[in-house]
Amino acid sequence: MTEEQRLSDELRERAVALFARSLHIRTFDSGSCAVCESEIRLLSAPHYDLHRLGFFFTPAPRHADLLLVSGAAVRAADTALRKTLAAIPEPRIVVAVGACALGGVFAPDELVHGRVDAVVPVDVYVPGCPPSPLALLHGLLVAVGRLEEKVRTLDFDLREELVG
Amino acid sequence: MLWFLRGIRRGVVTTRYPRATDAWARQLPSPPAFRSRRLTPELAARLAESCTPGALRLEGSELVLDLGACTGCGDCLTAGDDAVVPSGEFELATSARDALIKRIPIGAEG
Repeated sequence: MTEEQRLSDELRERAVALFARSLHIRTFDSGSCAVCESEIRLLSAPHYDLHRLGFFFTPAPRHADLLLVSGAAVRAADTALRKTLAAIPEPRIVVAVGACALGGVFAPDELVHGRVDAVVPVDVYVPGCPPSPLALLHGLLVAVGRLEEKVRTLDFDLREELVG
Repeated sequence: MLWFLRGIRRGVVTTRYPRATDAWARQLPSPPAFRSRRLTPELAARLAESCTPGALRLEGSELVLDLGACTGCGDCLTAGDDAVVPSGEFELATSARDALIKRIPIGAEG
């Protein structure tokens, strides 16, 4: 492991420890169909109540620790997205939400990048169309290191186990 | 006052996630899981063809599922007879995009 890697891992651990119990979220819509937004909004409803986990939404990027990006990264939003990210103080986390943001729906052309990580670096990917509020909660908890990533261990090949 | 009484009667509605997962969460639209022994090359081709968001594709003797592209639409469940079932999985967040690409062998033994 190089010195840079060690330092970056250490910084990441410290940032995650800092965010573990209190994290402010700024959402950014880079051209989504608004269904991801509707699921994100549900997070503050009584059923999911993300405040109990120490997550809060903030309208100001300067007060935010985490940027939640949905949509296919339309090129018209590039400047806004970069400026929003630049306005968030370091250390910061970027979470890409939904199939569009992960590069699943739109191919890159002159209007869209088709994936968020073509514009800004992404730390955590949350798949789904739309990801349910529980999937979003899992994504947020993974982002702050409170839950383990699970998808690597999941097997979508059942062989004959469920035959009945 | 009436709202207060209504609230008392309803009890706690907040999910206990992440300490416990609600049973209904497994019934939400989710990516497919495959009984790979029942997959034939023809069926796999039909599945790749049926996938509206283009999350399934054939690569040699493997069916490649991109969970990042899957919208949980269920078209493959219709096309796949009993070889495809809903996985019921929603905890798919990851820091590596590559981890979302799953390879399913076609008609494998094992």
